[in-house]
Amino acid sequence: MALIELLEEKIVKIPLVSFDKEGIIRELVDVLSQAGKVDDPDALFQAVMSREKLGSTGLEDGFAVPHGKTSGVKDLAIAIGIAPQGVNFESADGEPSKLFFLIAAPPDKAGPHIEALAEIAKLSRSKALCTALIQAKTPGEVVSLLRGD
Amino acid sequence: MKKPIERMMVYDDGSEGSILAARLAIVLAAEFDAELHALSVLNTRALSELVQAHIFIESEQEEYRRELAEDGARYLNHAVEMGKRKGVTVIKQNASGSISAAIKEKVAELHIDLLVMGPPPRIRSRRDALYDEVEMAMRTVDCSVLIARDEERIEELYEQLI
Repeated sequence: MALIELLEEKIVKIPLVSFDKEGIIRELVDVLSQAGKVDDPDALFQAVMSREKLGSTGLEDGFAVPHGKTSGVKDLAIAIGIAPQGVNFESADGEPSKLFFLIAAPPDKAGPHIEALAEIAKLSRSKALCTALIQAKTPGEVVSLLRGD
Repeated sequence: MKKPIERMMVYDDGSEGSILAARLAIVLAAEFDAELHALSVLNTRALSELVQAHIFIESEQEEYRRELAEDGARYLNHAVEMGKRKGVTVIKQNASGSISAAIKEKVAELHIDLLVMGPPPRIRSRRDALYDEVEMAMRTVDCSVLIARDEERIEELYEQLI
């Protein structure tokens, strides 16, 4: 499944206001919940936090990709958030994380989950795009940038 | 005289589009008395990229590899069952690596002369076109390619087969 097919303004939150990992993940889960993408927000939150305990999904250059599998979602779902203040996400380069892609996948959709994460991994290699995303002021701007408009 | 289609292959990723493609391929295989292969690709390239990008940890990679292999086996069994119902033998094929490269290699290895695929995802941006592996396979494979569309008609053709 193309990442682009999951993109819509209602799954983007700017700004994320939390100052710690747990708060950021909770905010992103709430975004999905309010967008009607998740049946059991608590199960999703627990799944993502459990995955974080195995190793942080904070990458380099302010980018983080928390993810989890749970039967609390029926289909693959994604939430995007920007925290201009920067948050300690135990990232690979030790720098604060500002751009977050949370991926929620049902347990029986390994293929689409991998494809979405792989697309995000490719996006993360473009520093120019990540910088532009972090500076975005509105959900519309984020969607536009990711669509390559 | 050569038959118009001797060996066909359908790419099966379990999506609705690929199930539709499998049905069309079964109809054509029956019509042209062609050999029909169904291919599932374990996308190990994506898994490796996710480990390299530090999005996946090693144990996660193994878990997903197992799940992808199980999913692939299930999809192929479904294609075989669909063929069996219509008296068409569907030969299972497995590959791993990048989807586009694996399709291209199997087409060459099996001397496939028609590849049948579900419709590629709707391209809504330039970035999308660059990243879509199915689209890339469609553009680079060395045989004719048939894209299955018109679900109603294909279902009708499939149901008509005895």
